[in-house]
Amino acid sequence: MMNKLHGIIFAYRSNADLRELTQHRNTCSVPYGGRYRIIDFMLSNFVNAGIVDVGIIVHANYQSLLDHLGSGKDWDLSRKHGGLRILPPFGYANKQRGGVCRGRMDALEGVYSYLKNIKQEHVVLAGGDIAVNLPLRDIYKQHIKSGADITAVCTRNPKGDPKSSDYFTIGANGRVTDVSVHPFAPMGCEALEVYILSKSLLLSLVDHCAAHNIPSFSQGVLQANVHSLNIVPYIFDGYAARLQSVPGYFARSMELLKPEVRADLFVPDRPVKTKDQSNPSTYYGDDASSVNSLVADGCIIEGTVRNSILFRGVRVEKGAVVENCILMQSTTIQQGAVLKYTITDKNVHVNPGRMLMGHETYPLAIAKNETV
Amino acid sequence: MKKECVAMLLAGGQGSRLYALTSRVAKPAVPFGGKYRIIDFPLSNCINSGIDTVGVLTQYQPLELNAYLGNGQPWDLDRSDGGVHVLPPYVQKGDSGTWYKGTANAIYQNIGFLQLYNPEYVLILSGDHIYKMDYGAMLAYHKEKGAACTISVLEVPMEDASRFGIMNVDEEDNIYEFQEKPKEPKSNLASMGIYIFTWSKLRDYLIADEANPDSSNDFGHDIIPAMLGAGEKMSAYRFKGYWKDVGTIKSLWDANMDMLSEGSGIDPYDPSWPIYARSPTKPPHFTGPDAKISHSMVTGGCEVYGTVENSVLFNSVIVEKGATVRYSILMPGTVVKAGATVDYAIVAENAVIDQGATVGSAPPSGDLGDWGITVVAQDIEVGDGAVVPANAMITRNLEGGAAK
Repeated sequence: MMNKLHGIIFAYRSNADLRELTQHRNTCSVPYGGRYRIIDFMLSNFVNAGIVDVGIIVHANYQSLLDHLGSGKDWDLSRKHGGLRILPPFGYANKQRGGVCRGRMDALEGVYSYLKNIKQEHVVLAGGDIAVNLPLRDIYKQHIKSGADITAVCTRNPKGDPKSSDYFTIGANGRVTDVSVHPFAPMGCEALEVYILSKSLLLSLVDHCAAHNIPSFSQGVLQANVHSLNIVPYIFDGYAARLQSVPGYFARSMELLKPEVRADLFVPDRPVKTKDQSNPSTYYGDDASSVNSLVADGCIIEGTVRNSILFRGVRVEKGAVVENCILMQSTTIQQGAVLKYTITDKNVHVNPGRMLMGHETYPLAIAKNETV
Repeated sequence: MKKECVAMLLAGGQGSRLYALTSRVAKPAVPFGGKYRIIDFPLSNCINSGIDTVGVLTQYQPLELNAYLGNGQPWDLDRSDGGVHVLPPYVQKGDSGTWYKGTANAIYQNIGFLQLYNPEYVLILSGDHIYKMDYGAMLAYHKEKGAACTISVLEVPMEDASRFGIMNVDEEDNIYEFQEKPKEPKSNLASMGIYIFTWSKLRDYLIADEANPDSSNDFGHDIIPAMLGAGEKMSAYRFKGYWKDVGTIKSLWDANMDMLSEGSGIDPYDPSWPIYARSPTKPPHFTGPDAKISHSMVTGGCEVYGTVENSVLFNSVIVEKGATVRYSILMPGTVVKAGATVDYAIVAENAVIDQGATVGSAPPSGDLGDWGITVVAQDIEVGDGAVVPANAMITRNLEGGAAK
C-alpha cells in the first residue's frame, strides 16, 4: 500500500538566526541530537512508512547535504529505479522565472517534470528542517479514509516561532476552516508542514500557481482554497523540534535530555537512520565523569561532562569540564579547558585551559573548523 | 573475473568452549568489543588490505551469521564482481556432498568456487581471532619468498609455546618442521592460523589429501605436514602486534578488557585501520544524573543510571540507578535492574538481572581456586535478589532468592 505514496522534502530553508550553524550548510543539514542531521528525521519518517521514492528539493548551500545523503544507501534508498533523487534548481529556457525560489510553489514548479513522472498516486510534501518522528503510515491511512483533498499534519503543542509558522483553525466539522500564516501570536494548531495530497491535485495546483505567479503554498494554496478544498488535519501532539535560532537550537537540543522527549523522538519501531560512520564505542577514561548527557559513539571522554550533548568522535581530555554544551562531530576539548553554554560546530578545537562561557539565552556558538 | 588473491574464512566452527555463548550462533558471530562480532576483524582486515573477494565457509548455526553478513555492505564488500560469499556445504553429484569434515575439506569442497575467480593465491583465515593485520604485506612477502605456503607466526613466551602449533624455522625463516602443541618446543613461533597458499599448489595437495582415507582433512594436521614432507618452500611471516584467540570464556573476556586499554595494542580508534560492523540503528547513549562510568565502553541505545567500571556495554543495555557493573561484558539489550551487582561476568543478549541480584564476584586474592568468569546466557532472567556465584554458567531462568 505504501508504495502508492511518493515523498518530497523541501530542503533549502536557511535560518539566518542560526548564525554560525548555517555558515556552511542550510538548516536541513544542521547537526542535531548527537548523531543526526535534521533532515534524517523526515527522511526516516518516509522510509519507515515504506516510501521507496523520495525527491529532495535543494536550492542553495547544499554541498553539506549532498555529502550527508550520498547515494541514499544509509536509508535504503539507493535503488535501481527511483530511490533517493536530489532535485537541484534549474531554469527552463522558455520560462521567465526559471530557478527563482520564493516559496514552495516556486520550488515545485522548478521540478515540474519530475512531479509529472511520479509513479505513485499520492504525494507527501514535507519540510526537511523539523525533527519529529511521525506515524506516517497512520497519517496516510487517515488521508485515504477521510477522503480529504489535503491532509495537514499539525500539533496542539506549538513549538515554533509564530512569525515563521502557520496555524490552522479547526472547525466543528473537523476540517481546517482557516489558515494563519506567520502571525505574531499562535492561533490554533501549529502546522508541522507535512501534507498529503494526490499527484493529480498537486500537478494542477503547481500549474495554477505557476500561471498566476503564486509562489507560496501556505497562502496561495491552503489559505486561498480553505473553503474550496477539503483540508483535514491530522493532530500529532508528540515532540517536534524546529530549529530557527541559536537559542532555539540550544533549547531544543537540551530537551533531548528528558526521557519523555527521547521516547517521542526515538521510537524503536521507527528508527531514525543517519549516515553510517563506523565509529567504535565511546570510551570513558579512569577519571571521566558523564552525567545527564547524551553521548554518541566514537568519543573519548577523560574529563567531566554534565548536561551536554556530544556528537560522534568528540574528545574531552583530562581536567576539561563541559557543562550545558553541545559539541558537534570531532570537537576536541583539550586539558583543563572549561566550556559552559557553548555550541561547538564540527572539528572545533579548544586549546588547553581555554574558558568559554555563554548563557542559556545567548549560547556561544563556535563555527566549523575553528580553533580557540 | 580473475582475482589475484581470494580470502577463505573458516567460520563453521562450533566454538564449544564458549558453551552457552555459542548455543545459538557460530563462534564468529559472537558479539565482541561493544560494537563488533568476532568475524568483523578478519573481514575488516580483508577490505583494509585490498582483498575484495571473501568466501565465508559456514556450517554450524549459520543463520544469524548469514543474516549478519548480508550483502557485505558494512565492510564495503557489496561488489558487482567479488564481494562476500557465504559458502555452506552442499549436495554434489550423486549425493556425494558431505558436511565439512575438516578445515582442508571445507576448502576442497569449494575448489569450484575458487575456480570462478581463478586466483594466483588463496588466503586462509579463521573466524575466531582478534587482531589487525595487513594481509597485503603478507602477500608481498609470500611472493618475494617465492613460497608455496606462507604461515603467519607470532612470537609467544617460551613457557606458553606448548599450547600452540609451533613452527621451527631456519635462519631465513623457512619452515622445516611443524609441531602441534609440542611438550618440548624448539622455538616460540606460534602459528596464527593464517595461511597464504599459491593456489595451484594448494589445489594439488587438497586433491591428494581428499584421496587419503586416513587423513583428518585438516590444514595443521595434514596439509602443512604433507607439504613439508614433499619439500615445498614454506615460509614463516613474523607478525608483530596484538593477536588473540578468543575460543574460551576467559580469553574472550580478556580480549574485551584489552579493548579498554590503550597499551594493549588493539586500538579501535585508529582511523588508519578501521574495524567495520553491521550496527543496529540506535540513538546516542544517555548517562543519567547519578551515572558513574569509568574505564569502560558504552555505545548507542544504552541508558546508564548506575555505576559502570572497567566494562564493555553493547548497544541498548540499561543499567538502572543503584546498579553496579564491574569488569563485565554486557551484550546487546541486557538490563541490570536497581541495586543489582554484576562482577567479572559475561551477560549475553537480552538477559535481565533483576533487582538486588548478584552475578559473579571479584577474584580472591592469592589462589584463584575454582574462581572464574560468570556467564549468563541469552534471554535469561536472574530473579530478584538471586546470587550467581563466580564461574557459574546460567542457562535457565533463576528464581528470586538464592542460586542453584
